[in-house]
Parts: sequence; C-alpha cells; structure tokens
Amino acid sequence: MQELPKQHKPKGKRKITAGVIWKIVGALLLLIIASCSITINNVVMPSSVNGGEILPVTLNVTIETNDNQTSNFMVAVLVPKVWKVAQNATITFTSDITSGDQGMSVIPAGSPAPQGGGLDWPTLLANKIGNGGNLLPDYEWVAFYSNTSYSVVANATIHATVSIKIKTSTDNLLFKPGFCVANSTDGLSSSDRYAASFANCFRVNGQGDLIDFCNPQISTVDPRNSLDNDIITVTFDGGVQSTALDNASQVYLCIAGITATGDSLVVCTQTDDTKMTALGLNKWQKDIWPHKLFNLTNNQRLTGLRYYFTDGAGANKVGYAGGATPFTFTFKCQ
Amino acid sequence: MKKILVLPILCSLLFFACKPELLIAPLEPAKDLSGSWQIIKATRNGTDLTMRFNFSQFRIRFTDSTYTIDSLVPFIVNRSGKWAFDDPTYPFTLSFQATDSSAKTSPLLFPVTGGQRNLIITFSPGCSANTYQYTLQKAN
Repeated sequence: MQELPKQHKPKGKRKITAGVIWKIVGALLLLIIASCSITINNVVMPSSVNGGEILPVTLNVTIETNDNQTSNFMVAVLVPKVWKVAQNATITFTSDITSGDQGMSVIPAGSPAPQGGGLDWPTLLANKIGNGGNLLPDYEWVAFYSNTSYSVVANATIHATVSIKIKTSTDNLLFKPGFCVANSTDGLSSSDRYAASFANCFRVNGQGDLIDFCNPQISTVDPRNSLDNDIITVTFDGGVQSTALDNASQVYLCIAGITATGDSLVVCTQTDDTKMTALGLNKWQKDIWPHKLFNLTNNQRLTGLRYYFTDGAGANKVGYAGGATPFTFTFKCQ
Repeated sequence: MKKILVLPILCSLLFFACKPELLIAPLEPAKDLSGSWQIIKATRNGTDLTMRFNFSQFRIRFTDSTYTIDSLVPFIVNRSGKWAFDDPTYPFTLSFQATDSSAKTSPLLFPVTGGQRNLIITFSPGCSANTYQYTLQKAN
C-alpha cells in the first residue's frame, strides 16, 4: 500500500534528483582528484663518480593527499642499460608516516602497471615521461615498489626521503639520469599522480671509449654491446657539425679491424661493401658484418675498429670530432 | 493392451537407434623441413634489418637429418652439419650441430602465413645481449 504513491511519482522529477546527486558526487570526486599531488622537491647527487663506484642519489618528495588510500610507493630510475640496475641498485626511503628505512624491490618487467592499459612500468614510463634527452638508445627505466603497502588518510602532507644507491659499471660515460615517483593505485594515470625529474649530464670516469648520451655524436655504432659476428650499424651525422663531407653526394667507410693479435685489417676502397646509405639531412648509415667484411678466419677475433668517413674519391676524410683522428669502437659483450 | 505393447517396442527402438560414434582424432603430421629456405625477414633487437643488409643470397638446405648453408650471413651456426627437432610432430625448438661443434638450439615458430609455411628462429650469433630473429620461407 505504501509503495503505490512512489510508483505514481512523476518520472521526470526523480531523474532530475538523481542527476543532481550525480553531479554533486562527480564534482566532489573531481575536487578530490584535482587536489592530490606528489612532488620531487629536489634531487641530490654528485656530478661524477669513478667507474665501478656507488652513485648515491637522494630524492626529497612531498605527497599531499585528499583521499584515504592504501598503496605501495613506486620509485623508478632511468639509467644506462649497462649498469644493470635491477641487480645493482638498492632503494630505501624514510617518511613522516613510517619508522626506519623502508625497503623497495624491483618490479619485474612485464608486470602490468596500474591504469596503464596493460603496459608494464618500463614501457609506460618511457611513453609518458620519455628519455630526458639522452641521445643513445641504450637506456632503460627500472621501477621499484615498496615492500609494504601504506595507508594514508585524506588531507595529509607527507614528506619522504628516498635513498638510491646504484653501483655503476666501469664504462666511461655521460648520461642524464631520470627519476619518477608514484604509487601502485594511480600509476601514471594523470600528471598530478606522479612526479619526474631529470638530472644534468652526469659523468662516470671509467674505462674505454666514452659513451656520450648527452651530446650529439657525429658517429655512433649500434649496438654498443656487440662482437665481430654481429651486424653492427655505423652512422655518420654530418648535421652535428660542418665537415669536409658537407657537400658529398656519396659517403664511404674507410675502416680497419684490429685483431686480438694486434694486426690491422684495412678495408678502405670505395665499393658497395663500404658505401653508406643516405638517410637525408646529411645523415648516413651502413650495416656491416665485420666477420665477412674483414674475411676473418674461424680463429680470428676482432677487439675493435678504427674508422673514417670519406667521399666517393676517398680524398676527403672525416674522423673524430670532424678531424683527422679516426673514430674508435671496442667490441665488448656485457 | 495395445498401449502396454507399444511402450516396450518404443523403448527397444530407442535402445537400438543409438549407436556410439567412433571418434578418431586426426593424426598430426610430422613437420617437414626438407628443401631450400631463404630469409624473408630479419630483425636485430627488434629493429628490422631486412632491407638494410643483404640477406638475399643466403640459403639453407635441409635434408632428413643434415643441412648445408650457402652465402653465410650471421646465423646460429656458421658451418653445415646436422639438425633435429625436439619433437617432430609438435616442434618447439630446432637444434643445429655444425661439423666439429657442439649443438646450438633455437626456439622455433612454424606458422603458415598467406598459404606459405614460415620457419622463425631466434638466436645470438655474436654478443648474447643481441637477439636476432629470422623468418625463412621455402625458396623457389
């Protein structure tokens, strides 16, 4: 008997009431979402270390909450692949809401990131945050979760100090490290839910050829980790600086393979084997298989390469920094 | 009386009408590699090298248990020798044993695309950090 009047209530009025309620709820949700934030206040790290030493980094982080939430804290670092950070880094943090150092562990690559459309953390970080201006492709994002999840209350301001210790490799390199903080619930769903910061060019005074991620290179070899039985890609970027090959219509490699016994095997004739492919904008590329190019026997091994770029006549040579010194490349596999 | 007789007759008809179907699973044929194969696609660490490096002359000819290579490119082995599947019917790996060398094994995919059987192998001919994937098809 009591339900009848409800059934005869005008439908329009009920719809308006529900709509108003949803609008209010939506506005409140928007207010809550819009006012959550996480910030990296500063990054403290040295400008250089010696190869093989520990790189200590401190991130001072502020988190402002407007909602109750239970999440794991996420810290990610952008580093050269050769550092193998997943095995060689320790990350801990302290905060207002915890006691003592809190441990963190690597999130295995392939584990889907929250609200990441199925992408894992490294892929999502690369897509959303980028590479910080590092010019060589041999870098990686590695993400860590806190070993414990933490409950936070609404309208709290939490300060956290993140301590990152990375054992660098012995490689001689220049790199712009990157850092990101977020949580396991929101992921990188909106720009106020995470914070990222990139350091200036950082130097490792190590051994071997300088691997310079920071400055445009007139020539690169890809992959950096390769042996003489790999296909390697040698590039020449004439757009980096003016050289004797500025107006060359064809560019060739003039290259020597250095064997383990110290012999120099030279290939310096302008043929199809050494002719580089034009990529436009005075960029050139050549894929070589050193094993075949230098006709190595099964017992011969190359330790490195020395090379120039020449024009079709072989008269104009361009070497390191545009000069007469050859570029060098050391074969290695780490 | 008639009704009493009809019911058992119907029941017996039903009983004899049902015959168990003999289900024979089709036999999966052993995979056949025999013939000459060429590289139609090559990647290094995911980068497509097919049009950048000359793979066109490379041929690998499989017989029942041996293979020979012509015009070598970076490959899982660099000499002719013997080959084997882990399972001839459902192969997941393909191993090559070059003469006077130990066997090297590659994960194997064997899909049919566009009516053509593809042989997809993955290996590292140089530094183990670099992964190459070649897709081969039968050469005409």
